[in-house]
Amino acid sequence: MAGVLLRRVDTEPCNLKHSERFREPIMTTYVERAQKQKTRDRRAAEMRLKNNRLGMNIFQISWIMAFVALVVVNWQLRFSYSQWPPAGIAPYDPLLPSVGTLALLFSSLLVHRGLKNLRASRVSAFISAWRLAIALGLIFMAIIVYEFFSVSDAAMSTQYGVTFRLMTGFHFVHALVILGIMIRVYQHGDAGKYSADEHGSWAVEGAARLWYFVTVAWMLFYVVLYWIR
Amino acid sequence: MATIAVPLGGQQERQEIEAVRRPALGEYLRWSVDHKIIGVQYGVTALLFFLVGGAMAMAIRLELLTPNLDVMISGAAYNSMFTMHGTIMIFLFIIPMWAAYGNFVVPLQLGAKDMAFPWLNAFAYWLIPPAGVVMLLGYFVSPAEAGWTSYPPLSTLFSGDGQTLWALGAHLLGLSSIFGSINFIVTILNMRPPEMTIWRMPLLCWAVLATSIIAVMATPFLAGALTLLLLDRMTGTTFFDAGGGGDVLLWQNIFWFYSHPAVYIMVLPGMGVLSEVLSIHSRKPVFGYRMVGLSSMAIAIVGFTVWAHHMFTSLQPELRIPFMITSMIIAVPTGIKMFSWLGTIWGGKIRFTSAMLFALGFMSMFVIGGITGVMLAALPFDIHVHDTYFVVSHFHFVLFGGSVFAIYAALYHWFPKVTGRMMNERLGRIHFLFTYFGFLITFFPMHIVGMLGMPRRVAVYDPAFTDMNRLISFAAFVLGFSTFIVFYNIIHSYFRGPVAGANPWRALTLEWATTSPPPVTNFEDDPIPYEDPYGYGTEAASAYLDAVDQAFNGRRPASAGGH
Repeated sequence: MAGVLLRRVDTEPCNLKHSERFREPIMTTYVERAQKQKTRDRRAAEMRLKNNRLGMNIFQISWIMAFVALVVVNWQLRFSYSQWPPAGIAPYDPLLPSVGTLALLFSSLLVHRGLKNLRASRVSAFISAWRLAIALGLIFMAIIVYEFFSVSDAAMSTQYGVTFRLMTGFHFVHALVILGIMIRVYQHGDAGKYSADEHGSWAVEGAARLWYFVTVAWMLFYVVLYWIR
Repeated sequence: MATIAVPLGGQQERQEIEAVRRPALGEYLRWSVDHKIIGVQYGVTALLFFLVGGAMAMAIRLELLTPNLDVMISGAAYNSMFTMHGTIMIFLFIIPMWAAYGNFVVPLQLGAKDMAFPWLNAFAYWLIPPAGVVMLLGYFVSPAEAGWTSYPPLSTLFSGDGQTLWALGAHLLGLSSIFGSINFIVTILNMRPPEMTIWRMPLLCWAVLATSIIAVMATPFLAGALTLLLLDRMTGTTFFDAGGGGDVLLWQNIFWFYSHPAVYIMVLPGMGVLSEVLSIHSRKPVFGYRMVGLSSMAIAIVGFTVWAHHMFTSLQPELRIPFMITSMIIAVPTGIKMFSWLGTIWGGKIRFTSAMLFALGFMSMFVIGGITGVMLAALPFDIHVHDTYFVVSHFHFVLFGGSVFAIYAALYHWFPKVTGRMMNERLGRIHFLFTYFGFLITFFPMHIVGMLGMPRRVAVYDPAFTDMNRLISFAAFVLGFSTFIVFYNIIHSYFRGPVAGANPWRALTLEWATTSPPPVTNFEDDPIPYEDPYGYGTEAASAYLDAVDQAFNGRRPASAGGH
């Protein structure tokens, strides 16, 4: 009876393999097994890369919502005041942070170029691009620290100053951690630990994507904090 | 290992197969990146917190036996009791419990060897015990007493340090939820076998996908809200204090922007479980498969546009009507699911197993919860019953009558796969009867006392409601007792239950096409799914199921036993 049913299954190509597989082990030679293992390892590496990329994308989309939440906070608290910035408080000067923003944008651009150079096996170009990117990132962060501490006491007595420190501080913590990752990647890159192919340079790509994230998050805050009044 | 006689579901004869090795107890107690171990870790942790939260519910009902304050020391003690009850049940029971089923079942259903990021998966789990400990410690330090919603100024000016620990614990749980969800999305989108297109994916995977999308998009808002709460409590900022230029509604907006979608995080996987269980145990294809999958997505998306219906009484009047409309629209995809389930069991060969009974219980209870949900979405009615027991009744109908019934259905359904043993069906039916009637008699009368005007979150109430509250409390004790039946059943069946075999329910999805419990790598080779995950009732399907049975009974002959 079972045989009859199994033959019916055989008309389905999918199920044929399934039932065949379970019925008896297939005899293979050593070379065939080694070949199979190789194919399997390659597929697993490809899958890992695909997973890493998608996972990073989802993390970025997810965690940008935390920054959006702070924008919502800023936005809603504006309605507690009749004007924004509140009466008697000088608005922030956008000049210096604009310089910082430009530095960050260039830094992100350099990170992108560095990754492209690594992919094209130009390791020294990659290293110098990242060195410059990290330096520009440090300049940006120094400017943010300066801005954070130059909020006047009068501003700090209102939500105008408090939300400013909340947002810049929140962003600064992220930038700090991710810059640390960038520096680590730079050190490893200097030691020649990355290769040009996509698997060997995933750490670089991951760090770069995180730095883009820092840039995008800052652009959001930059516009909300300095330009929307 | 000895050979054991096995009753295989759907077959009358008893066959002998070798009992499969189960992971040792120690493997569950330490760091492991195996999704099956992590799934069980999540599940056991969540069930332990279920006991804690349930004990608190019993204490609450004991207090409400009489209209006076007699069990608790003070009203504040009562407040902290229901605060911890809600928090534990939501953050430490239902959400981790779905992570448990998701972790165990989803990679198996996809024919994957593990989750996409095994290390991250283990990390997400190990955030939960410390978070739970921190929250419970807070209860003993000086408890949070602002309800699980923690509205300021209650949570900023009045609660003790326990509120700070509460926020820290919730922060950790949020992180855990984000990491877990990233893992689920990547696993479901990337790691399906090539034969399984997205339209051939089991519906539990659809539901977990929708849930995870909600979790990754909404949970950062909870992180934002909790950060502000912590800052207000610890550093003297005034985000929620109108005296310092803050706004109390700010918390409500940001918190509910997370927490309303979180309601769907808690019930969507249950809906996925329902589609599985109803189809398998009534031997019929899911009715309108695509619509069920898409309605999960629709609930996920529309769920982001309804949060302000929790704030009808404090919202600007011109915003109320739009939120009322979106809230009512949610009923449409939910209705699609409900009709699909009815269509699935219609004319099916229903096997009234414990899993099926709980699934049917879900359907009847969730309809009541859904209808009261639409009633509450109607603005005039909501303002009338705002903060009364009607609301309490509504969300227990969707969270207990919905989520917990589905958790029980899933427990009876997948327990054989997890442990390799069947659960005791007779005890399961007794458990169902106690739960079903205990639940119905506990929560249905709450509608009535709510309509009559009994406010929620009070320890002392109008003596006119005494009789009704007595009835509710006694039914609640029955409901509480029912938990012991299932816990006994779990422990008893784990050691003494009959061996389940690979596919006791004769189900077509891939998790049943391997041994119970599955080996470390899940499948010996890349498995090939059957062409339709719910194509029951055809000859090809029963031939496939026979082939699977034969493969797992015949592959290791009985004579091999004894080693």
